[in-house]
Formats: sequence, C-alpha cells, structure tokens
Amino acid sequence: MIPGSFDYVVAHSVPEAVALLEQHGDEAKILAGGHSLIPLLRFRFASPSVLVDINRIADLEYLREASGTLRIGALTREATLDTSPLITTRYPILRDTSIMVADPVVRNWATVGGNIAHADPANDHPATMLALDASVVATGPSGERVIPIEEFFTDSAFETTLKPNELLTEIRVPSPSERSGGAYFKLERKVGDYAIAGVAAYIALDGKGLVTYAGIGLTNVGPHPIKAHDAGNSLLGKPLDDTAIHQAADLAAAAAQPNSDDRGPAEYKRGMVRTLCVRALRKALERATGGK
Amino acid sequence: MELELCINGTIESVQVPVNEPLLTMLRRQGYYSVKQGCETGQCGACTVLVDGVPRPSCVMLAGQAGGCTLTTVEGLGSSRALHPLQEAFMEVGAVQCGFCTPGMLLSAYALLLRNPQPSESEVRDVLSGHLCCCTGYAKPVQAIMRAAAKMRGVQVPALEYHVNAKKTAKTTEKLRAVNVVSKETIRLRAITASAATAILAEPEVQYQVVGKAVQARDALKFVTGKPAFTGDVTPQGMLYGSILTSPHAHAIIRSIDVSQAKALPGVHAILTYNDVPRVAHCIVERFSADSSPADYYCLDSIMRYVGDRVAVVAAETPEVAEQALRLIQVEYDVLPAILDPRRALESSGPPVHPERESRGIVDASHNVAARVRTEVGDVERGFAQADIVVEGQYFVPQVQQAALEKQTVITYFDEDDYLVVRTDSPALQHIRRTISSMLALPMRRIRVVKADSSANANSKRQIMLEDLCALLTQATHRPVKLTYSHVDKFVSGRLRHTHILYLKTGVRRDGTIVANQMALIASTGAYATHPLVSPCSSYFPALSLYPCPNMRYIAEILYTNLPPSGTTHSYSMPQEFFALECHMDEVARQIGMDALEIRRRNWFQAGDTHLWVGGASGEQLPTESCGLPECLRAVAEKLNWREKRRTTLRSVSGGYERFRRGVGLALALESSRATSTSGATIKLNDDGSFDLFTAPCESGFSTILAQVASEVLSVPLEDILLHPMDTSNTLCDTNSHLTPYSALGAVKRAAEQMRRQILTVAARMFDTLPNALRLAAGIITSSSEQITTVAQVAAHALHIEGQHLVITASWKAQQTPASFAAQGVEVEVDTETGSVRVLKVVTAVDGGRFINPLLAEGQIQGGTTQALSASICEELIYDQNGVLLTAGLGNYHIYNALDMAEMQTCLVETEETSVPFGAKVFTTVPQNAIAPAVANAVADALGVRIRQLPLTPERVLHALHSQKK
Repeated sequence: MIPGSFDYVVAHSVPEAVALLEQHGDEAKILAGGHSLIPLLRFRFASPSVLVDINRIADLEYLREASGTLRIGALTREATLDTSPLITTRYPILRDTSIMVADPVVRNWATVGGNIAHADPANDHPATMLALDASVVATGPSGERVIPIEEFFTDSAFETTLKPNELLTEIRVPSPSERSGGAYFKLERKVGDYAIAGVAAYIALDGKGLVTYAGIGLTNVGPHPIKAHDAGNSLLGKPLDDTAIHQAADLAAAAAQPNSDDRGPAEYKRGMVRTLCVRALRKALERATGGK
Repeated sequence: MELELCINGTIESVQVPVNEPLLTMLRRQGYYSVKQGCETGQCGACTVLVDGVPRPSCVMLAGQAGGCTLTTVEGLGSSRALHPLQEAFMEVGAVQCGFCTPGMLLSAYALLLRNPQPSESEVRDVLSGHLCCCTGYAKPVQAIMRAAAKMRGVQVPALEYHVNAKKTAKTTEKLRAVNVVSKETIRLRAITASAATAILAEPEVQYQVVGKAVQARDALKFVTGKPAFTGDVTPQGMLYGSILTSPHAHAIIRSIDVSQAKALPGVHAILTYNDVPRVAHCIVERFSADSSPADYYCLDSIMRYVGDRVAVVAAETPEVAEQALRLIQVEYDVLPAILDPRRALESSGPPVHPERESRGIVDASHNVAARVRTEVGDVERGFAQADIVVEGQYFVPQVQQAALEKQTVITYFDEDDYLVVRTDSPALQHIRRTISSMLALPMRRIRVVKADSSANANSKRQIMLEDLCALLTQATHRPVKLTYSHVDKFVSGRLRHTHILYLKTGVRRDGTIVANQMALIASTGAYATHPLVSPCSSYFPALSLYPCPNMRYIAEILYTNLPPSGTTHSYSMPQEFFALECHMDEVARQIGMDALEIRRRNWFQAGDTHLWVGGASGEQLPTESCGLPECLRAVAEKLNWREKRRTTLRSVSGGYERFRRGVGLALALESSRATSTSGATIKLNDDGSFDLFTAPCESGFSTILAQVASEVLSVPLEDILLHPMDTSNTLCDTNSHLTPYSALGAVKRAAEQMRRQILTVAARMFDTLPNALRLAAGIITSSSEQITTVAQVAAHALHIEGQHLVITASWKAQQTPASFAAQGVEVEVDTETGSVRVLKVVTAVDGGRFINPLLAEGQIQGGTTQALSASICEELIYDQNGVLLTAGLGNYHIYNALDMAEMQTCLVETEETSVPFGAKVFTTVPQNAIAPAVANAVADALGVRIRQLPLTPERVLHALHSQKK
C-alpha cells in the first residue's frame, strides 16, 4: 500500500520545525528515521495532513558529554550508539540497548529520539532511559522544557506528554558516578525481534558497597514503558547481594503488566522479567565494580 | 515535487508525488534490482545506499532523497564488469531465487568500504538485516569473505568438491583457515549391495560436466539486478487489480452492492460471484488420473476463511482500486467457524462445504475432505506380540513459507489476441486448463508464461491470482496486474497445516519393531488442497522409513475455516517425520537402547521392497540404493555423538546450572509412489549451439538439465541455450513435482539421439561410419584424424543435406527412487528462560549422484535453515474468530543470519541405475528431519520430551518445570 496523501515539508532548523508544528498542530507528524511512521502511513493507521521532515537538521545529531550529563541529539542514529567509543566505554548500557534494535540496516537511520518519542512499550530505549533516570528536552515556541523521562510517557501506548507544538530535541543522561553501572537484557523470539520482555537496570554504590541509586525499567510488559519503582527502592541502602537482587527481581516482576500474545503467555513474561532483572542487576554490579 | 538525484553516478531530475516511497519511485524509474518485499523495513530486499549508507527504501519517502547520492546494484557492476562481490556470489552459489541478493550485495559493499577485512561475525551481523528463505546464509557469508579477501589481494583457494573422503578432511582445514567460514561438503562413495557388482562389471564413467560444481545459469541476471521477476514488467495501459477479502471466518454474503464503487472515476471493472461462472475446480495442480475434490469457486457467496475472496476490482491506479474496495457494501450472515480440525468431525454448525456442485469430497457433512487408510499384516496381533508398546501424540502447527517476493500475476491480450498470463507458478498447464474453463476460452487461445525466477517455486504449484487477473483482463480488455502483498500472502495465501499425530509402536526388547501405527488428523483449511488429499502422494508416509510386517497408516484430512493448505516444500512429510523420529527416540529410551542403534536395527535398507515405493506399472520393485548408513555415520561423527550424547543431565557452565547442551539426530526419506512423463526438445543451430526446451521447472534445475545435455552431447555447457518458459515452448509433464526425474530422462534421451544424428551427418561428411568418429568438446575426429566441429556439421546438414537437426523425445520414469537424509543438531538450552539456541546443524543427504554439488549444497542448506526456523520460532496464530495474529514479518519470525547455527553439509552418493545418471531427487528431504532432531536434542539436554512445535522458550520452560514437579 502507498501512504495516503499529505503535505511534506522539510525543516532545516529546530525553530522552523517548531513553527511548522505550531502552524499545523495535531495535523502534523514529525518524520525522523521513519521506520515506525511510514509503515503506519502505508497501512493507514495514521493519516496526518502534514509531515515535517527533520532529517536535514544537522545539529540534532550529536553525542556530547559535559558537566555531568550526556546529551544525545534526538536525531542521533542507533548505529552511532553501536559504534561510539564514548558510549562503549562510559555508557555500555546504551550500547546494550541500541544493538538490540531491529537489524543493522534499520539502525543506520532509525533515531534514538524516534525510538523514545514513538512511546511504543515494545521499543528498547524507554526502559533504559527510565532506569537511568534520564530526561528529555522538548522545544516549543516558548523555548525548551526539560521533562523527566517518567513524566514523558503516559499510561497509554504511543502517547507522550509532548505538546502538539513541541519537538523532542535532546535526551539527557546523567553521567556515571564512581561505582555505578547498568545493563539492558532482552529476551527475543529471534535476533532483532521485539522483546518477549526486557529489563534495564542501573545502580550506584557508595564506598561501602551499599546501593545509593537503583533504577529498573521494563520493556514490552505493559501498555506503556514501566519503571519498577518498588524494585529499585528495595535496594537502597543495601549491599547488592543475591538476596537483595532476588527480592528486587520479584518486585520488578510484580510491577510488570504483561498480556498474553504471540510472544508468550502473560505469566511466562512476568517470570522472564524476574529472570532478566536478576541478570541485569548482576551485570550492573559487575560493571559498577570495574567489569566491562 | 521535483527532485535532483544522483543515481548510480548519473544526475537525474525526477518528478514524484510527495507520498511516494523511494522504493516505488526507483522501480518506476526502471531500477528493478530494488525489490519489493515486506514494505515495512523488515526484510532488507529493497535496500539501497543513500549517501553510501544501506537503508530500506520502502520506509523512506522519495522526497527525502532529494540531493542525495543513491546506489543500487545496477551501479555496483554490470554483466560486462562485475564487482568482486557479484562474482563471488555467483562463484560460491550464494544466489538461489535471487530476490534478496541485491540487498545483500549493497550491505556487503558498504561493509567492505569501511572494513576491508571483516570477521565472519561482522559479516553475519550486516547480513542479519536481509532475510533470505533459500540459501541458509552460509553461502552469502562465504561469498562476502571471499570477495573481501580477493579485494585485499589475498589468494583464495579454488572451490573444490572431492569424492574421496580422506582428501576432504585436509581440504576442509585449508578452507577454514583461509575463509573462516565453517562450511564443508564431503562426498562419500557408498557402495550398496546391489550396486557393488555393477561397479565391478563396468568401471565408472568419467563425466565431464555431470557431477561438477557449475554455477547456476541464471545467477548473472540476479547479481546484476535484472528485471527477472513477475512484477518487474509493466505493459502499456496496465490496470491494477485489488481483492476485497472476507473479514469473517465463515459467512454467507446476504447482499453485495458495488454501485458506488463502480461509479468511482478510474474504476474499470468489479467482479463478484454474480459475474463469474460457477465452476468447481481444484486450485492445486492435480493430474488426470486424480479424483481429488473439486471444491473451489473463483468467486463465491460463501466465505470460508478470513481472507477468502469477496470481490475484485481493476482500476487505473492502485490507490483508486483500494478506494473502490472501500466503497463496496457487503452484508454477511456470520456462521459459526471451525478453527480446530479436532472439532471438525463433530461440529454441529453448518459444514464448510454444503454446496452441491462440489465433487469428490469424502463426507462433506462431517467436513471430511479425504481419508487415507493403509495396512499391511495384522497390526493388532503385532502389538499383542510386542514386549513393549509405546504410544505418543505429537502436534505440529501451521506455518508459512514466507517467501519475500510479493505474489504477482500480469495478464493481457497480445497482438494476436491470445490471452497471456505471466506468473511465477511452475504449474503452467494447470493454470491454462483452469483459466480456459473459467473464461470459456479455448486452451489454444491462452499462453501461460513463467517468470524466470520465483522464490519458493514449489509452494506455487497452484492457482493463486491467475484466475481473477485473467477474468479482469477479459472484462476490461486491458492488461491487469494483480498482487498479493506480503501481508496478503499470510492472510489469504497458502500454508502448511496443522497435524495432530498419534504414534503407536510395538517393539521387542532387542529393539525390533513388530508393529507400527501412525494415525493423524490434518487440517486442509477451507479447500481440499492438502497434499494428502491427492492419491498420488498419499502412499508415501514417513512410516516406510522403518518397514515392519505389521503397519497401519490412517489419515483424516478435515476442512476448517482457515486459509487453504498448499503445496509446501516436502508436502506434509515434515509433520510426519517430526512425530515418527521423536517417537523413535522415545521407544529407544523406554527399552534402554541407544537412539542410533534402534534406528539401525529397523531402518529401510537397499534391496528392501515395500508398499510405498512402487514401479510405474504398480508392481513393487526392490529399492536399489540406500545411503542411510553413510548419512548416519557422517552426522554422528560430525556431531561427536558418542561423546556428547547424554542419558543423564549435565551442566556446561560453572556456578548455577543455567545452560544445558544436548545433541539429537533424526532420519528421513523422500519418496513417491507416483511417476511422471516428460518431454524434451533439442534443436541444433547452425553455429553449433543447441536450444533446449523442457518441461517447466525451477531455475536451479534448468542448470542441471543443461549439464546433462552438455555431457551427453560432449559440447561446452555454454552451447546449451535455455529459454524463458511458457506453454508455447515447454513440453508436457504429467506430475510436476516429479518433473526432475522425468525431465532428466527426456533430456538425456533427446541428447543421445541428437548426438547420434550429428555423428551420422559427420560420417557422411567424412565418408566413414559413425562408430569410427569421436566427439569431444564440440570437436569430431575420425579414425583417420579428419576433424570437424559440431557447428560445421550443423551447417552441412542444413545447407548441403537440407535437413535441420531437431530431436524431441519423451521419457517415462519407471520409478521414483527414494532419497535419504540424516540430520543432527547440537543445542544449548537456557534453563532460566527456555530459549533454545542451535549451535550446530549437520545434514547428510543421499541423492544418488549429485549432478551439481554446488547447487545441491545450496539447496540442502536452504531447506535445513527453513526447517530450523520452523522448529524454533515459526507458528501461525489465529484469534478465536479466525483472524491471523501473526501476519507479516513483524510477528511471524523467520531465521536471519545471526539466528543461524554453524552448518555442515555432507553429500552422500549412492549408485542408482533406475534413473538417468543415478540422480535421485533430494531437494526437499532436508526439510524433514530437522524438527525431530531439535526436539531430540532438547530432550537430551533437559530430559524432557516436548511433543509440540515450535520449541518456543515458554513451551520449553513449561516442560522443564512440569518435569521438576
């Protein structure tokens, strides 16, 4: 099928894109990598009257680390995360995540911003960003607005708190403190598929090895990306031993809201959240204590 | 909008609609190497380089490419100057149907630009964006490694295929060191009891072309992206067809109103059941002697599955056609649907086929399409005499072959007012016959043309769209193109259906099987298209692998409100072998015997005669060759069976027991009680080349036929010319799935006669006797050293003697000898998640003599991969209303290059004199034993038997947990 008709406008700068959104409101859709949007248009699941192509905004593609924050331009391609030495050495959890997205041909053009803004609970970056306590920058007519990632997603799939006249322009990830680390584990039916379940965990330890931060995010086990608060909180102030890890994993499983579908029955998926959470926390601990 | 683009180095200015995907624009501009596959960015067939970066062009708008540099395969290299990658793909046989090839080439090209020395895993990673159903990825990986080495100036070894097993071991090491591709092929010479004397009596002939690893004849057009597929042509004034399909699994159309749709500007025709003749027919190819049910109507008022045909429209553009479908008003009376064959027999609702016009249905009121019941000996007495009787029930779900190519048919009236049907089905005569009766047009007015290539041609031996497309052309007198998209193929297409199988085996303590029974229920879906419906195929059940005095085979083929079954690879044999070969391991376990030993004790042997392999006249002929022992030995050795096979559980990692490994093995045969007759024509041209016309066959097989002609005629292979196939130039065949046997014979016979004629003419030229002449490499030498060429003989015959040398011969295969296979896998199971990873897969196939080991290896690897994918992750799932939940590649999972295990292939040769050159047909046998080998390996790893496919993580974990309780 060929997409329905629409106007196609290329934005060459962020203000231009925002002006177009301001002008067309709900009728407009942002076109970034297009891997989710264009199939939706083909199958007529979406029929915007205007497509705003942001791929020509060169200054939306960057990775910068400064003053305790990693800034990821919304248009950064997944392939960039796959290969960036900065990501590999300092933010391995992000590479864990990007290499799980579809296949290399797709990752050449699919964007990190799109993966998040599409708010598909099956996408991989949301869980990781929830675990990392990241935030996103929304740019609108009156300037920038920083939204904590948790407030960016709503209770519904494919819905965010971005206003119709705002563009997601940047993702901000706190730089790793000493003795911190994270990992993303995903179980798939086959390489490159959407997750049966996925778990991202990020932890920070104090000098005594007690947990000072723990964030756990879940992929494709609910109507929206899920942050397993109780699971993360249960670890605070404790050493990350097997008992603590298993307790947190049980809480993460309890936080999941899976449905039975062609990727497995709900109870199986819940069990997998537990298993993957154990693995993610163990790997996070390994990385926080000097491993790779 | 207007775009400036640089395509393959040429700057072009193109006018595009803003909603046009880049893929559509490129094909419109004639870049047919860019293939239209899934159109959702998942298959990789439409990949192009945008500013040097591989991207799927289906999820990019043409408008986005403005100012960009685009590269397609047409820009990579042409037939006059091939890129090393294109050369390597041809050389190693990495091209089969050729549909995924352009995308793979471009991704590989981009990879080698940034990394001239990639590792095998980097190559696999890049290829994982390109799905391929035929090659199994091993050869593409090998080709890319080879091209990379060549481009770096590294010497690459010649590709060799050895007959001697000893030599092979060394060569393999060498190949591994240089290529880093784990691939090996060995050929073992098995001397069977009956053949041994033949060898002593007559020393083996040394062939020049037969048995050689010759490149596929059509590989060049695929690596250069030529428009070889059905959808790659656009006749002038073509209309676009589109089909309205049923949203209900079972319903009657109460009313249908097409007036609004008809009024839409640009709509040329709309057809419903009111507009077409009601002729009961069968959509899959059947043969004259066949009495299988005729239960299909090209358009009907009863809807029998979600996706069944309601109406069809032809319009100026695809968009108008789709819009017209939305304007058709249909009211349905929805009926209860039968979605499980187990419920079909006692269903209280209306049957799937209540109509009176259908013929040949065994019991329409109970939804029984066909019944098969075969018995030898006294099975009940056999069970009574057995020491142990082992029973088991097995379940195989429905799967799709998921060929990436869209299904396309184009029909038009040519300048002589003949109806031309361009299709990718090899069932040319069946299509011609059926369309003739639908359109009330004499068969002589219809020409059916087969596109050069078609992915998974075996699954297309049936009518899919040809009838409706022809009806639209008849209604509009315009060319019409009708297409099933990738998703349509899942929803409306054909599939391999659910089988529920019950095995009961009586065995003595020493492992001898005394009675064996297989009873199965199979769904045929909405129409009687299941292979077991045809009497041609119904007598070759898997059970014949273990002949015993008391055997019973019972099959009930039942209608359900699901898509029709189809002519899938290996028909329904994978389902039967899954049950049988899992069951054999169970029997072995229960009597405490090694799984291989019990097979050796009972298996089919050369010299055996059994009910399921008959001669042409119905008599039972002893089977001449059987390479099962060599196949089994090769697989067991490569799997390191003795060391790896466990009876107890063990862990392979330290600490907590997370991973467990196991090995499993299974056997299979491929046979048929049917035989077929084929014809071949060879025409000698005055330049010494030969035109070869045969029965319609798949593209790889044409190469083999050309090899046979070249061998017999003693002329260079390039002098044998093959031509696109259509009903005007192909010869008849009476049973197209067996064409390989009979076509080989027909070509051999025609070539032998042609050779005699050439020598006769040459003898007259030299005034000698034909027996005094030698013909080799196209040159004829007399005993007195006079020399002439085949070209000179052709010219002499034509211009001096006034005769054109043309030979037509036909050949009836006397029997269809069985081919055999052993397949084994090593798996690793994650006991926390249930995930099964296949680490290694070994397939050994006895194909008699392999006329082309290069192509044979590729076909075996492809079949093995498809079977692995189906064992681990493929399953069609429907909701309670019969709506398919797994339509398209997003939810239907097929293996990619990263999923695929290390693959080893062994070609085992046996001596078979009943068929020309001893070539047995083996192409689908590798589909049969993989699933049971995987299940047996999982049982070895975990100690639990899983009787249902696929082996999904949750199913494996559930089985593991049930065992612990």
